[in-house]
Amino acid sequence: MTSAKFRPRDVGPMVLVLAFVFVSIAPLLWMALAAFKPTADIIAIPPVWIPDFTYLQNFQDVLTQFWPFIVNSLIATVGATILALVLAVPTAFALVNHRFRGREALADWILSTRMMPPIAAAVPLFVIFRGAGLLDSLPGLIIAYAGFNLPFAVWMTMSFVRRVPKELIEAARLEGCTWWQVLTGVVLPLSKSGLAAVATFVFIFAWNEFMLALFLTTREAKTFPVVISSFIGTGRVYWEYIAAASVIQCLPPVLFTFFMQKHIVSGVTMGAVKD
Amino acid sequence: MGQIKLENVVKSFGEFDVIRDVSLTINEGEYVVFVGPSGCGKSSLLRLITGLEDVSSGRVWIDGRDVTDVAPSERQLAMVFQSYALFPHLTVADNIGFGLRVSGRPKAEIREKVLTTARALALDPYLDRYPRQLSGGQRQRVAIGRAIVRAPTAFLFDEPLSNLDAALRVQMRLELIRLHDELKTTMIYVTHDQVEAMTMADRIVVLNAGKVEQFDTPIALYDAPANRFVAGFIGSPKMNFIEATAERGRRILTSAGAVEISNLKAPLSPGKVTFGIRPEHLGYDREAGLWKGTILVEEQLGSDAYFTVDVTALGTLTVRAVGERGYRRGDTIFLTPDPARSHLFAEDGRALTAPASNLSNSQQQSAAGSA
Repeated sequence: MTSAKFRPRDVGPMVLVLAFVFVSIAPLLWMALAAFKPTADIIAIPPVWIPDFTYLQNFQDVLTQFWPFIVNSLIATVGATILALVLAVPTAFALVNHRFRGREALADWILSTRMMPPIAAAVPLFVIFRGAGLLDSLPGLIIAYAGFNLPFAVWMTMSFVRRVPKELIEAARLEGCTWWQVLTGVVLPLSKSGLAAVATFVFIFAWNEFMLALFLTTREAKTFPVVISSFIGTGRVYWEYIAAASVIQCLPPVLFTFFMQKHIVSGVTMGAVKD
Repeated sequence: MGQIKLENVVKSFGEFDVIRDVSLTINEGEYVVFVGPSGCGKSSLLRLITGLEDVSSGRVWIDGRDVTDVAPSERQLAMVFQSYALFPHLTVADNIGFGLRVSGRPKAEIREKVLTTARALALDPYLDRYPRQLSGGQRQRVAIGRAIVRAPTAFLFDEPLSNLDAALRVQMRLELIRLHDELKTTMIYVTHDQVEAMTMADRIVVLNAGKVEQFDTPIALYDAPANRFVAGFIGSPKMNFIEATAERGRRILTSAGAVEISNLKAPLSPGKVTFGIRPEHLGYDREAGLWKGTILVEEQLGSDAYFTVDVTALGTLTVRAVGERGYRRGDTIFLTPDPARSHLFAEDGRALTAPASNLSNSQQQSAAGSA
């Protein structure tokens, strides 16, 4: 800040910005506060602005009744993240470092599958999964999530693999490395930060995914977002559970991103080749 | 161990031929330099030998074995890259021992070999450091260490010194020559710097537009360039070229008078020719000589002076005057080519002259030294 001087003509934009921030943050704020209120306080008029933060009944109810679905969500998310990376990394490595007929077309085709709206795939996927016995199963969800994220994961990984200097790969090959050893010994350690970023994106997508889970699961493999939506019943809306569950739902991506951030360090490849 | 043979090697990228029908044999233990202007294909040729690029046609042989379809990892070659290509996530010790570890040698052996190599290259105090913590010269040494520790069939260097400053470059050049004397392993060295080529090589491959122009010892390239390209490329400052017309016998006619050529391979037949004379083989005088000119630029190096001389009828010529300090810009100067050291090239570039047989050995030595 070079100048903190107040200028009258800044008032207009400032008010606009504040209004925008308020509109954006209000629902979240409402949700976070409502999570600590009993039902009566949530709908009370005049509103109870500041709840009693020691009131944890909503969280306790949600966790005790619905914890298996949180576990489902976790398994599906972590599974999908791992599967997507396991498939995307060798794919991206091959697409970047091997010259073969149709390489670009293949890369473009992978990207193009991303352009299909998930809803378009939902019905065919349902039919296929029913045939394969994957409906309402966590492996099914993991496959679906990893599949939907693969194009993105491949392309993002490609951009990181491409940053590994070509000479390093050539040097490794001349030193006697097989392609697999080049990947595990040179490319992976040097794209760690990039892979952390890819993992973060896949994790957040899978954790927050709602629509596919709604289509493909019924009881056993139901994920937490689907459970949250079920709190809006025909007879009654369980605002207090929605609020508490939403707070819970928000936590893992925040924690995961925070944890991954430490790994997303720049300058890992410094000193590899000339400055 | 270490004979490398290329047989009618061609490399094309689409329509474009990068390497056009190259055949050459590099002998065991030889220090061969590939030199040429940028884009001549010298790095491509090196990469074809390593297998990092596949040949479009032709065969590559290493020690009598056809390796054309053999993966780079199986060719037992070591390469030092211009950018060093050190693994940034590994320490100096792990970088040097990388190849040994990949091939699954016992840990104790790796440690011992790494230590011996590091000592030889004065790297032992830095074994636990990472490449980013080293200076350019040290990184270069690590790259060399990684190459020599495996005792490969041949070493390949791709412009390894071009990222170093001038003083370090000279020092590393000497170290590489010493290293070759010690190891006696075949070395192929790619550079665009003809001084590096002349000083280091047993033999030099001069490449131009994907073709081998000449493959010979440094002295032979200097004394008897096979064609106009080699004549112009080897030697600094460059050889002077003068367009002329051949008459019959030994005479050629330049726009500034006739010149008798004494070292022709065969009598001339009439036609267009190019007369070539190196700056160090142009005699100069204030009073008399074949061509009269004016000094346009005087470049004084102390040991030598280079004069760019405007000879009205011929254009500008460069003269190298050893230790000369008496001339200034604007002075009149007379130039006379040394008839025994003249070169003549046919219209297609082919050399028509041979090195004069009366050149004594010592003269040849001094010519090499001044190159």
